[in-house]
Amino acid sequence: MSDEIHDQAVMTFEVLKAAVRDGVAARLGKLALAGRKTVIDTPNFFAGTSRGVVPHITPDNVSKHLHAGGAYMALEDFIERPQQYYTRKPPIFDTPTPLPPGKPLHSFTAMPPSITTVLAARRIPAVPAPMGNSNNSISIFTSVGFQVLTTKEYHNAVEALKPDIAIPLADLTNHSTAPNTKRALRMADRTDQWVKEFFDELDTQDVLNPSKISTFAPILPIDYSIQWEYIERLAEDLFPHLAGLAVYDLDVLPDIADKYANLLTLPRLSLSAPATPHHILRQIGLGIDLFTIPFINTVSDSGLALTFTFPSPSSQLEPADAQPNGTGTSLKPLGMDLSCPSNQISLAPLLENCTCYACTNHHKAYIHHLLNAREMLGWTLLQIHNHAVISQFFASIRETLSLGQEAFEAAVEKFTLTYEPDFPAGTGEKPRARGYHYKSGAGEGKRNKPGWSKLGGDETPAAEKENGNPADVAPVTVAADVNA
Amino acid sequence: SAALTFELVAKCSTTRARASILTLPHGPVNLPMFMPVATQASLKGITPEQLESTGCRLCLNNTYHLGLKPGQEVLDAVGGAHKLQGWNHNILTDSGGFQMVSLLKLANVTEEGVRFLSPHDGSPMLLTPEHSMSLQNSIGSDIMMQLDDVLVTTSPDKVRMREAMERSVRWLDRCIAAHKNPDRQNLFCIIQGGLDLEMRRECTREMVARDTPGIAIGGLSGGEAKDDFCKVVATCTELLPELKPRYVMGIGYPEDLVVSTALGADMFDCVWPTRTARFGNAITKVGVLNMKREMYAADFGPIEDGCGCPCCRPVDQEGAMGITRAFVHHNAAKETVAAHLLTIHNVWYQLNLMREARDAIIADKFPAFVKEFFAGLYPDRQDYPSWATDALRGVGIDLREP
Ligand SMILES: [Zn+2]
Ligand SMILES: [Zn+2]
Repeated sequence: MSDEIHDQAVMTFEVLKAAVRDGVAARLGKLALAGRKTVIDTPNFFAGTSRGVVPHITPDNVSKHLHAGGAYMALEDFIERPQQYYTRKPPIFDTPTPLPPGKPLHSFTAMPPSITTVLAARRIPAVPAPMGNSNNSISIFTSVGFQVLTTKEYHNAVEALKPDIAIPLADLTNHSTAPNTKRALRMADRTDQWVKEFFDELDTQDVLNPSKISTFAPILPIDYSIQWEYIERLAEDLFPHLAGLAVYDLDVLPDIADKYANLLTLPRLSLSAPATPHHILRQIGLGIDLFTIPFINTVSDSGLALTFTFPSPSSQLEPADAQPNGTGTSLKPLGMDLSCPSNQISLAPLLENCTCYACTNHHKAYIHHLLNAREMLGWTLLQIHNHAVISQFFASIRETLSLGQEAFEAAVEKFTLTYEPDFPAGTGEKPRARGYHYKSGAGEGKRNKPGWSKLGGDETPAAEKENGNPADVAPVTVAADVNA
Repeated sequence: SAALTFELVAKCSTTRARASILTLPHGPVNLPMFMPVATQASLKGITPEQLESTGCRLCLNNTYHLGLKPGQEVLDAVGGAHKLQGWNHNILTDSGGFQMVSLLKLANVTEEGVRFLSPHDGSPMLLTPEHSMSLQNSIGSDIMMQLDDVLVTTSPDKVRMREAMERSVRWLDRCIAAHKNPDRQNLFCIIQGGLDLEMRRECTREMVARDTPGIAIGGLSGGEAKDDFCKVVATCTELLPELKPRYVMGIGYPEDLVVSTALGADMFDCVWPTRTARFGNAITKVGVLNMKREMYAADFGPIEDGCGCPCCRPVDQEGAMGITRAFVHHNAAKETVAAHLLTIHNVWYQLNLMREARDAIIADKFPAFVKEFFAGLYPDRQDYPSWATDALRGVGIDLREP
């Protein structure tokens, strides 16, 4: 992301400034990826993708307007087997690779070469599968339904697609509730076995290094006491093969720090879906270097523009911020609902001093209009802005960290005292649910009300007949309604 | 009075095709040209910057839609549609009448205007020529269209057709009188008269006499036969003054653009290229390809070979994305991005088709261009649509000859 360096054969991570205290704490680092000209300054984040795209953002806008360190992709988004073509090889495996050379995942998704790709089996958050996992496979959720992915298939996919960072399979339940001890023990056993197999089948010298694939080993969301054998293997036998840790739950980190200091030298990627910037700060305080942040996409879909800055602005609220936030507290909101009619004629940017494309070329009134008219560009501009706010958030965090641990902690405390704990609810209609991955509990109704209908109750969709019907976002999707 | 200049650059020595430069308040545009339709001040998910990257310098907004959302008060407060959407190039707006008649079942036309029920609260409303002008003045479009009385051309009611034609002339007079900014917004008249060529001629003479800065041929985007469509365009262009832009409203299929250009028209608009993109369709030299078809699932070629749009150019070129058919197929109907990419490609295709036509006119090779265009679409000459061969023969191009 920052200064250019020369290509290098393997990934390196350099900790520039770490806590001197015992255990794990916030730190400043530089991640230089194998075969890449750019380095990622940490703490930082990877943008979430759906089917290989950052939702609503075309690849040209990703390179021009999205300042993310990389993109997290899920194999389950690429390997569906539609009933009529059940035996076909997923097309992604035949991708030619013009640029960057030898990186099919990049080429298939048209990700700009500057973007680092992370490949895991499942999206974050993943839809829990009714049938669970087996000793040599996991359940994944594709656009045509649940499907089995064997460890062997996953390893072949990693070898074929050559992501910059691969996360070996972990045995996860993907439920919000913690697994019982018996299930947790099996999770540890299987993951231990699978990670070992990963390196057996994908030899570091013969396959991973020449393909410029770095491996981040999963750390399970279960007690250290249950997965200690697995972690010991990572720290001892497998350590030379590891480039980082993919942490599904942070609670284990202090134990790891206690027992296996060598693992502390690896960059840690959080896959725990932090719910708010407060959670991100807390996780940075616990030693996380890299994040995937699913809330950016959901916040944009809700019509919210992120409005927080770090460190928080000086104590007295500016007049523009002094409006009641609806919760009766004096805390500032983390985001602003652009569907709110108060934005109707505001020519102000989404966030004062934001340098993103949306804020420098457009204003609140336009985004409000686009949301109100259900024009897709509204969500595109919010995505660009919200990613920019997060990018700036991390840049400021790094700057504060460079001043030392105390400066960081003071700024975190101030941030906590300044901002609301949660995002406001968005009142606008969300984009037409883009299908299957919105699957949730049975019996949930359609996410949005049906669109604008004609006077006189004509049943024929006007979009089929005449110029621009206001409700005309129709063709982009089908599957959501199937789940309803 | 006019807020534009029109410079005729070249005329085809065979057909009636013309190449010109139309200079509008927000800059010059080259004619003939296609204008994409950004109905609600946004072109279906692509940013104004991306629209600009297709070469577009004049797009449409719909008055009816902007009148509803964001509404006239907001438009006035924001300072018009250019400011609303961050588009520093030209905008053309329709009058709102066509959309009312076509979208709203209960619209009703009287001499006063178009009566309809508000989609907000069902209350009766009236769109008059004066109100349409007022809305378009608030929008600030570079080209405004008169309110006209539109009937489907296939209407069998001759009496009603004549009434609509004559009323459209009277409404033009009311529009001219109500137009507040003739020095910075251009008002175009619209020729009506259905498929009755004599009525079209009469209307053309009446409209031309009113000396608006540009002239449109209206009422043609309906279900009329293509032969009839071509006859109407040819009849009107024959009578039109040479030094004014001619706009055929609501057409957008590539064949229609090429044939209408040969018949002497300069400007076209249609929602089809952007709408069809959202159904997964790519417009190409060899026809419309549906990227959702299984045959494209593992097709790693560009959307169209040789296309110069930001999607199709190879990834190692500046500003290019290297999008493959396989990637569009992967996301068609699943992620909005696939629709955005096809929208960029399709708009670029349409604009480029007109750029190539214009270059051919200037080089006086337009007939060869037309032949090459049809040969690309139809490998077998037997399949050429007869309406096109007939219409082109009328202006001196025989598609049967190589
Ligand atoms: Zn911004
Ligand atoms: Zn293209």
